[in-house]
Amino acid sequence: MVSGIGAALAAVVTVAEYFLANYGPCKITINDDKEVTTEGGGSVLAVLTENKIFIPSACGGRGTCALCKLKVMEGGGPLLPTEEPLLTDQEKKDHVRLSCQVKLRSDIRIEIPQELFSIREYEAECARITDLTADMRLFRFELGGSESMEYVPGQYVQLLTPVYAQSDEEVYRAYSVAGDPADKGAVELIIRLVPGGICTTYCFEYLKQGDKVKFNGPYGEFRLSQTDSPIVFIAGGSGMAPIRCMLYQMRNEGIARRATYYFGANKVEELCLVDEMRRFEKELKGFRFVPVVASPEKPWDGETGLVTQAVQRGIEDGGRVEAYLCGSPGMIDASITVLKDRGLTEDRIFYDKFA
Amino acid sequence: MKQTPDKNKLDEFMRSSRLVAGGFLGHDTREVDAIVEADAAAVFALGHTTIGIAERMREVSQQARRGLGTWVGIDATHRAMMQEARGELVCPWPHPGYFHKAVTRVERMDSGETVEFSDLNIHMVEAHGFFEGRGSRFRLEPERLIRVLF
Repeated sequence: MVSGIGAALAAVVTVAEYFLANYGPCKITINDDKEVTTEGGGSVLAVLTENKIFIPSACGGRGTCALCKLKVMEGGGPLLPTEEPLLTDQEKKDHVRLSCQVKLRSDIRIEIPQELFSIREYEAECARITDLTADMRLFRFELGGSESMEYVPGQYVQLLTPVYAQSDEEVYRAYSVAGDPADKGAVELIIRLVPGGICTTYCFEYLKQGDKVKFNGPYGEFRLSQTDSPIVFIAGGSGMAPIRCMLYQMRNEGIARRATYYFGANKVEELCLVDEMRRFEKELKGFRFVPVVASPEKPWDGETGLVTQAVQRGIEDGGRVEAYLCGSPGMIDASITVLKDRGLTEDRIFYDKFA
Repeated sequence: MKQTPDKNKLDEFMRSSRLVAGGFLGHDTREVDAIVEADAAAVFALGHTTIGIAERMREVSQQARRGLGTWVGIDATHRAMMQEARGELVCPWPHPGYFHKAVTRVERMDSGETVEFSDLNIHMVEAHGFFEGRGSRFRLEPERLIRVLF
């Protein structure tokens, strides 16, 4: 009954806002330095994006990914129930809000990290699409001319999905850069088809070689540390992307850290880029690629079982090791448990979780 | 069946592609209430309840989660695999309901039949008795779902 009343009220507010709200021009003051004036009513995230100030967001503004946090110092209105669970007590004290949830209804003063001003929007051509497995593809987007994008291996971009037959509105989705960072005129992404996924359906069923795409970035803090500690990489599926990029970085920069890469798949045919990983083994002294297949459907003389079981077998003393993980939440959580069991401390475990 | 403005809005929203590619109703021309009622009748006729079906779906998906993307034996006749992706799925009904993008595939090994459902499907079956419209990517035909799961 209560939820019914709440839902009804929410519907009334939404409809009323749609038909009645007229907030007039509103000003956003950013870091007490830059000003943007626009018609009120939209979310702060949307207004900033329209003005080419890109705040990370992986959920299309639905208030679920919690990446679009910024400080609202004045004019943001009360904290919304949709924001509450995604903010820590300290963040609430520090005026942190989800910019996708804060509506522009009056002048507002915000603070955003300075480095976000360096994030740009790029237009590129889809130059090549390569099948990696039955449901995973490597997309190569070329920027054209002298255009280039600087990024740190491990970072991601947000790919814009345009309106198409199965989607009524533009949405952004986050994908880790998978390519060689020395190849500055192009960005490569590894995308796995998500059933019913708006962006992945577009990429697999509609996007063709020669089509133009837009993305913005780079974002993210996932990156190799500047130490000489031995490395354990653990990934599954499209989690291959940032690890591949880091391996290119190690090759390009002559990083000679000892590294073992555990890559998990269900079947042998779900392994990808194995030849390339074998090349890295020749090019990178001390690098070893360990594909792990849970249920080999054909003769297989490599590691079997879960990727975490192979890690458990492979690491005897994790005391000096650093681990870099990319994959599903379940895989990351299970890997962290195993790594801690092997002596790694949390501050030496870095991950990019599909959350 | 009388359609209120709120129900019309929900129908329109679920037919749109704002939350999932192709929407929740597929090519089904029936209204959401009509789909729910027809499926409820089918579930009842088979001697089950939506709550019971959702409980079984959740039990299977929780076991599948342990497989980290690989097949896991559920019992003597079932195995299941969960694939997870970046992001969240949002329940189209007007209440807070966010679900991680996780899709469970269940196989009944004696027949080879499979069904696939997301964490959001479990919630929609449990809370709304909604198995999606015909032609949508995650439409769950109650008869088939029950045949495979139980």
